[in-house]
Amino acid sequence: MHGPAALQLTTDGRLKHLLTTEGLPKSLITELLDTAETFLSSQGQPVKKVPLLRGKTVVNLFFENSTRTRTTFDIAAHRLSADVVTLDIRTSSTSKGETLFDTLKNLEAMQADLFVVRHSAGGAPFFIANRVTPHIAVINAGDGTHAHPTQALLDLMTIRKHKGDPANLSVAIVGDLKHSRVARSLIHGLRGMGCPDIRAIGPGTLLPSDLEHLGVRSFHRIEDGLTNVDVVVLLRLQKERMSSALLPSEREFFNLYGMTESRLKLAKDNAIVMHPGPINRGVEIANEVADGPQAVILDQVTNGIAIRMAVMAMTLSTQQGGHS
Amino acid sequence: MSVIIRNIQIISPGSPLHGAIEIGIDQGVFMDPSALTDATEIDGKAAWLIPGLIDFRVNLREPGLEHKGTIASETRAAVAGGVTSVVATPTTDPVVDSPADVRLVLERAKASGHCRVLPTAMLTQGGGGNHLSEMAALVDAGCVALAQGNRPFSSRKIEFNALKYAESLGIRVILDSESRDFAGGCAHAGRVGTGLGLSLNSPLSETLGLGADLDLVEATGVSAHFSRITTKTAVNRIREAKAKGLQITCDVTLSHLLYSEQAVLNLDPNFHLERPLRTEEDRLGLIAGIIDGTIDLIVSDHSPHETGAKLAPFPETEQGMSLIEGVIQLLVKLDQSGELSFEQSLTAMTSKAAQVINQKELGTIQLGNPADCVLLNPNDSTTYDQDHWLSTGTNSPLLGQTLPGRVIGSWINGQHIAP
Repeated sequence: MHGPAALQLTTDGRLKHLLTTEGLPKSLITELLDTAETFLSSQGQPVKKVPLLRGKTVVNLFFENSTRTRTTFDIAAHRLSADVVTLDIRTSSTSKGETLFDTLKNLEAMQADLFVVRHSAGGAPFFIANRVTPHIAVINAGDGTHAHPTQALLDLMTIRKHKGDPANLSVAIVGDLKHSRVARSLIHGLRGMGCPDIRAIGPGTLLPSDLEHLGVRSFHRIEDGLTNVDVVVLLRLQKERMSSALLPSEREFFNLYGMTESRLKLAKDNAIVMHPGPINRGVEIANEVADGPQAVILDQVTNGIAIRMAVMAMTLSTQQGGHS
Repeated sequence: MSVIIRNIQIISPGSPLHGAIEIGIDQGVFMDPSALTDATEIDGKAAWLIPGLIDFRVNLREPGLEHKGTIASETRAAVAGGVTSVVATPTTDPVVDSPADVRLVLERAKASGHCRVLPTAMLTQGGGGNHLSEMAALVDAGCVALAQGNRPFSSRKIEFNALKYAESLGIRVILDSESRDFAGGCAHAGRVGTGLGLSLNSPLSETLGLGADLDLVEATGVSAHFSRITTKTAVNRIREAKAKGLQITCDVTLSHLLYSEQAVLNLDPNFHLERPLRTEEDRLGLIAGIIDGTIDLIVSDHSPHETGAKLAPFPETEQGMSLIEGVIQLLVKLDQSGELSFEQSLTAMTSKAAQVINQKELGTIQLGNPADCVLLNPNDSTTYDQDHWLSTGTNSPLLGQTLPGRVIGSWINGQHIAP
């Protein structure tokens, strides 16, 4: 293992930061998913409050725009009874010219216990984790087009809940994989869980060229790629893909790759449809699918809170000497 | 003062003195020791005596970027790496584009430099790519070639004009081939960069640019040097172009001979380079290119930076590594790894470089030539640590490493320079 994958584990294999799903062993992912499930009530809702992180300070460092991810991290930290500070860095120090490194040193001096980091540069949370004083945990909440590990874990949790062990499943990821940290992290996570059949579906301009190396088969025709899958993961299509000439129009994308009821019939009966949100109706997904019985998109949001609680609890426990 | 160095093995391929065991130095030039009386004798202790290296691409950072490095600091580091002549890039701040700038560099080199400094200047004013520089005056002032560095021409038409004008004056141009459309990206568009989600640089950025540049060189007839070739495909293109009879030369950086994209796996910002590290196949293709003579020169592309320039997440760091302190040691390492013989790499940094800068009296240990030479103990080693580091730029993978080979002493123009 190298870089982020190596730095996030202790020598005896426990999780001290969460920077990427790459290289996470199945046992550790399973432990995270199991822990997250303990934070859900019998109705499947996250528990309201537990005292696990009482007296701890969680700092949300968002160098990049985000509403939902930040909100779910906020809620997760509050439910663990932590004190939460959220810094929207775009509008604070770095726009005054302070470097990331100096911002970090200042926050450390304020005695934070855990940093949740979102940044537009791939590797930024790794940079931070490499340089923070020991005992501070770093959680990657999305870095560039590199990784979004908590999203991948909540996806795995959702998949496991609805379809069982990923080691027996076929999963198709549809859309803009090339620019998607969600897709990268999910692929690594699925591979870690032993998923034998991962498929990427999209036009050549939106698929990375080296997918085979990651154990993923590429399909340009959605009809070929969807056949008999258990799980369909749709990705959000950004408008700038049209202006950079990677796609002609949203309409053409929907015509070729949009998830409609008739296309969904190619997948297995009861296949689930997932989306990291926010969804573009009529672009990645048709209304009838988004609102239909096979969509588990809102369930993903709920699981996201539980997963973030589990990751915070586990990394802080490792950092501060406990055994998770 | 004259000296005789005995008990050495001269390594200077192509010279009649290659393999000789002693040499004299007097009045700044190599002499037959038997012709010298009253000379100080030096025991070379069975070390190698090699021609001083000529590094064809060095960012000395002066003027204007002294926080990254100065002529004093970087030429001192160069000598420690066995380099006795550096060809300075013109991409300082301001860029070197007037005879006054060239004279400034030469004067500062004379005042504070530890080795020869051979300036180059921009082909276009301000490096802007729009208006031609006063090329004749720049060469008169002391430039060994003219370059556009990492700055693009504003159009291929302007580039054509610059090359045509240079050709008519017999000036050699240095081109960094790149297609503007595919420029940018902090990692090679391959497995590692894709896996890390970094912005990617396709090899097409080089090959498309090179194809257009080769057409322009052929159309204008200019003597062109292609700098920092990174792909096997580019090596093949240059091989074909040379076979066609084009008057071209090219170089590769030491880092591209030593490292592939795998080096980026740990997101170490020292491996964030202007020209990304490519695949292992490319790396081996570049080494093969030196062996078969397609690639003429090896350069350090030494790029010192202040600490802050690398203290950021990988994509946000400035590009380049500080490498000049380990050049000769890295050549020994390449030899020991069996990938590239010392004689071949040495030739690519001595006699062949002397031809490209049109100073054929440098780069070879031969009677009557300026006495630029390095005494190198190949059996000793050099350890790089912060305390003994000379370059202003600590952005170097060398720090913490021990490399084979140790520079015992250098002579430049017959003057002994302490190691």
